[in-house]
Amino acid sequence: MLSSLRSGVQFLWRVPSRALQTTSTLQHDSLFVHRDTLEDNSSIPFEFSPANQKRVDALLAIYPEGHKRGAMIPLLDLAQRQNGGWLPISAMHKVAEVLNLPRMRVYEVATFYTMFIRRPIGKYHVQVCTTTPCWLRGSDVVLNAIKEATGCEVGGNSPCGKFSISEVECLGACVNAPMIQVNDDYYEDLTVEDTKEIIDKLKKDEKPMPGPRSGRFASEPLGGLTSLTEEPTGPGFGLQDALKS
Amino acid sequence: MSLLALDKWAKLVTIISQNGGIFKSIYKLWRFDTLKWNGKLVGTDSLGNKYYENPYYMLGRSRWVEYNDYVRWDYDATQITPEWYGWLHYKTDRLPHEDPAKYCISCCAWYQKWMLPPEENLSGTELAYYPYSTVRQHIQVWDGKSVCSRPTPCVCK
Amino acid sequence: MLRQPLTRALALSSPSRVAPLAARRFADQVQAQPDKVEVFIDDKPVYVPPGTTVLQAAAEVGVEIPRFCYHERLAVAGNCRMCLVEVEKSPKPVAACAMPVMKGMRVKTNSDLTRKAREGVMEFLLVNHPLDCPICDQGGECDLQDQSMAFGSDRSRFTDIHFSGKRAVEDKDVGPLIKTIMTRCIHCTRCIRFASEVAGIDDLGTTGRGTDMQVGTYVEKMFLSELSGNVIDLCPVGALTSKPYSFAARPWETRRIDSVDVLDPLGSNIVVATRTNEVLRILPRTNEEINEEWLSDKSRFACDGLKRQRLVTPMVKDSRGNLTPVEWEDAIVAAARALRDCPSDKLLAVAGDLADAESLVALKDFVNRLGSENTCTEQFFPAEGSGTDLRSSYLLNTKIANVEGADFVLLIGTNVRFEAPLLNARIRKAFIHKETDVALIGPKVDLTYDYTHVGDSASLVKDLATGTSSNEILKRLESAKRPVVILGADQLKTEEGAALLAYTQELALRLQDNLQDKEWKVLNVLQRTASQVAALDIGYRPGVGAALAAGPRVVYLLGADSGIVTREALPKDAVVIYQGHHGDAGASIADIVLPGAAYTEKRATYVNAEGRAQQTLVAVTPPGLAREDWKIIRALSEVAGAGLPYDTLDEVRERLNQVSPALVAYGDVQPNNYFAQARALAKSLQKPVSGKLDVQLKQLEDYFMTDAISRASPTMAKCVQAVLKQKTAPY
Repeated sequence: MLSSLRSGVQFLWRVPSRALQTTSTLQHDSLFVHRDTLEDNSSIPFEFSPANQKRVDALLAIYPEGHKRGAMIPLLDLAQRQNGGWLPISAMHKVAEVLNLPRMRVYEVATFYTMFIRRPIGKYHVQVCTTTPCWLRGSDVVLNAIKEATGCEVGGNSPCGKFSISEVECLGACVNAPMIQVNDDYYEDLTVEDTKEIIDKLKKDEKPMPGPRSGRFASEPLGGLTSLTEEPTGPGFGLQDALKS
Repeated sequence: MSLLALDKWAKLVTIISQNGGIFKSIYKLWRFDTLKWNGKLVGTDSLGNKYYENPYYMLGRSRWVEYNDYVRWDYDATQITPEWYGWLHYKTDRLPHEDPAKYCISCCAWYQKWMLPPEENLSGTELAYYPYSTVRQHIQVWDGKSVCSRPTPCVCK
Repeated sequence: MLRQPLTRALALSSPSRVAPLAARRFADQVQAQPDKVEVFIDDKPVYVPPGTTVLQAAAEVGVEIPRFCYHERLAVAGNCRMCLVEVEKSPKPVAACAMPVMKGMRVKTNSDLTRKAREGVMEFLLVNHPLDCPICDQGGECDLQDQSMAFGSDRSRFTDIHFSGKRAVEDKDVGPLIKTIMTRCIHCTRCIRFASEVAGIDDLGTTGRGTDMQVGTYVEKMFLSELSGNVIDLCPVGALTSKPYSFAARPWETRRIDSVDVLDPLGSNIVVATRTNEVLRILPRTNEEINEEWLSDKSRFACDGLKRQRLVTPMVKDSRGNLTPVEWEDAIVAAARALRDCPSDKLLAVAGDLADAESLVALKDFVNRLGSENTCTEQFFPAEGSGTDLRSSYLLNTKIANVEGADFVLLIGTNVRFEAPLLNARIRKAFIHKETDVALIGPKVDLTYDYTHVGDSASLVKDLATGTSSNEILKRLESAKRPVVILGADQLKTEEGAALLAYTQELALRLQDNLQDKEWKVLNVLQRTASQVAALDIGYRPGVGAALAAGPRVVYLLGADSGIVTREALPKDAVVIYQGHHGDAGASIADIVLPGAAYTEKRATYVNAEGRAQQTLVAVTPPGLAREDWKIIRALSEVAGAGLPYDTLDEVRERLNQVSPALVAYGDVQPNNYFAQARALAKSLQKPVSGKLDVQLKQLEDYFMTDAISRASPTMAKCVQAVLKQKTAPY
């Protein structure tokens, strides 16, 4: 009697800690298998442009015979740049053909590196660093500002098709946190206003000035040097007398 | 008197006369290997078997069945109907028609609707029950005509 | 030319992988044996050549180090970390599979550090491995299961189930043979390495990185290989399992019977797993001389053909011309009557692809006793010159294992990849690890490795043989130290077959005479079927053409299903007796059908293409009224009044021994000689040849269904369909 009462009301105070196991969440924002889409399938032809073909030849010339596969990453990057920032499967096939490799070997490389983007993205790929230093310096508001300005979600494309946003791990500019990367350029020391201005300019296809927005040239201290202000000492400084010649 | 055991002879004569004369008694003896004395016919079941009782015999021999003549020597304990089984095996002293439960079963239309008539054990005969195989046939036998060849390209949906 | 990435080339240079010990008779003897290095495994000293890995050194003293990714026949990957061992004076445990031994190294394979390392690796592997062993087909033969019992922790610290859960990976569709449950994958990459190194089909790889890494094909694609089934054996977990065998049985329920495969001429060694008198699956059995530990897909998966289209009762044609089941007595009497009434010169016996040596010899003796000499095989071989009198002219003389020691392989009119997949795997192995070059005369086919395509004209062989060719292949052949010439037996069917064989003999023997290594054999003829060598040894006449033209009255088909004997080619009133195990081309034209046993159902002798006699064992009983083949012939001979003088299998084998001792020398290959005589006899046959060489099996879809068993197999039919579908797919 008591036991049945207990099991009857148990749900009131105990949330079942182990319910039915469900599929785990995808831990990466891109898929590691290929799905044919209208924009990305093997029947869309891809050829290197004549200008890029010269680059291809130059890249291949760097690597000795028998090791041409070393040119795979540069070639994939070249193909990605030619194709507007993303790498369609036919471009991978082209690279495999150029290098005379099985296609799978190219797929492996293209999926391993996160800088190869295998879905159609906008003209401006905005990568927002949200790793600890940037996050401490307010990357969340920067990210929100970008989302608002572009109408685009993280991992998606904007309605106008011009922007794509990615949340990325440290881009190595922690001194200038918070920062974003748009295509190849770093925009650093950002505030919400700076961010909005950058996005506005990009919308008008103008190129905003890359680099720190705080007035710094690079990563030097903002308020001038606080150490190492005196003249550098010459050689032999602090050496004990006995060792001085 | 006792030397001649005339009472035994008298009993033999009684038994023979009760069993319907010398020839019938021999026939019965041949069929059942025994002749009983003074059996009281207590009833007949649906298959025509006759049930007798004589408490003169010791328990275990005091109730017996004489199977329907129709079956001759092919009688079998499973020819005893379920209503009589209990009485014959001393499970009960009530005869089937005295037992309200059995009476009810044998008479009630609702019971008769689904209860099958008693049936003897048919094992060893042609009518014996064999369960059908639930095992998948491993071997698919050739039909005598068809020849396998390579399939043609499938029409892809 | 570098045929593999540098890292692999270095990793593969360890001496034991290049050629198995048994096959290394012909390896360079001149090479100085380097000094051996002393290492201590658990304080036991062992001397090994430098370059040996710690794991191999441990195996020498009988210490088995647990491993998932390491495999003897594949490149070292070193990514599972299960083989971590403690090495004295090393700050961290080292991966035994990738660590070469160094002088005086002291390895501790059972120390606390080692055990802790293994336990840790095991724990990490199990973090993302589903615990679905009860519904996993690998259960009971799973390396992960076994090793977690042996080396894993006895309790779980896994709590992630309440948070993000285990990693889940979508399953791949790689065809009708391999079932993938990729969530179970532990990323050992054995399948990838097998695909790229042994099978030569670079379709598998790892995509993604980190926890999202997955093994697969990236695009939807079938694994188009004739050796694909081997990845099932290689997979240490249940990620790749057999699709036809899925959920069929547990390994401990099955009986395993050692046997020999007959679906290709190599006679790969197999293990037949059976339960309740049913063949469930076929696995390879290691034999370094033949199949190493691989098995081709047809041999492995065609076993479900043994359960379809079977002949289970004797059949006789009734008045309406339909085959109706009858008792043995009636069928035997009917057959005996037909045989007795037949004039002896109008009697013809034809042996098919899957006939065993016992039934072959019984049939030949029987036919001879009836006064006829007409015993033929379906496959053709030229009878001119030395014909089939000299064994060396129809065998694979180099021997399968030695092919990987060759430095130049010339293929003439054969697609080895599909005619003998494991021989092709050997050539590929030589191609990759030994810089062997391959040239092909014949149609251009995909052999999974690069080769020089010389052309497809038969006259090229003539030019090479007479030394008049200007082709650079001739120079290559003449300068090769261990050349191998492989001639496909299919080419001998044509009018020019005899001349082609003569030229090939001339070429091979001319090369052989100039070799330094006098033991090396150059000439090889690759037969197409498992029965052909035994039939020729016993004295069957190859080819039925002439015998059919003579208009036989009674034709006895012993499993002859190739469709070479047709009803149209026979006189109207000819009686066809078919003895075999499948209702196929032969049985469909028969008047009397005698059900025989398939290769899994009898103890029988088969001789493979290199002339090695091997025996199959009874794995299951023949279905229904079917009987072992030689017994049927023995019974028939009694009724026909020409009783054969043997009643037991031993007596039949004694008879085989009389015919040729090689037929009962199980497991051995007799050395073949008399090459010079064959060459001399062939001299007169060197007529000009002009035809084009063509092969039957060009594409993968041609490979799967080639004989009565594989034609009856639904799995093989699915394979053909899948391959054809894949051909139309974009990837």
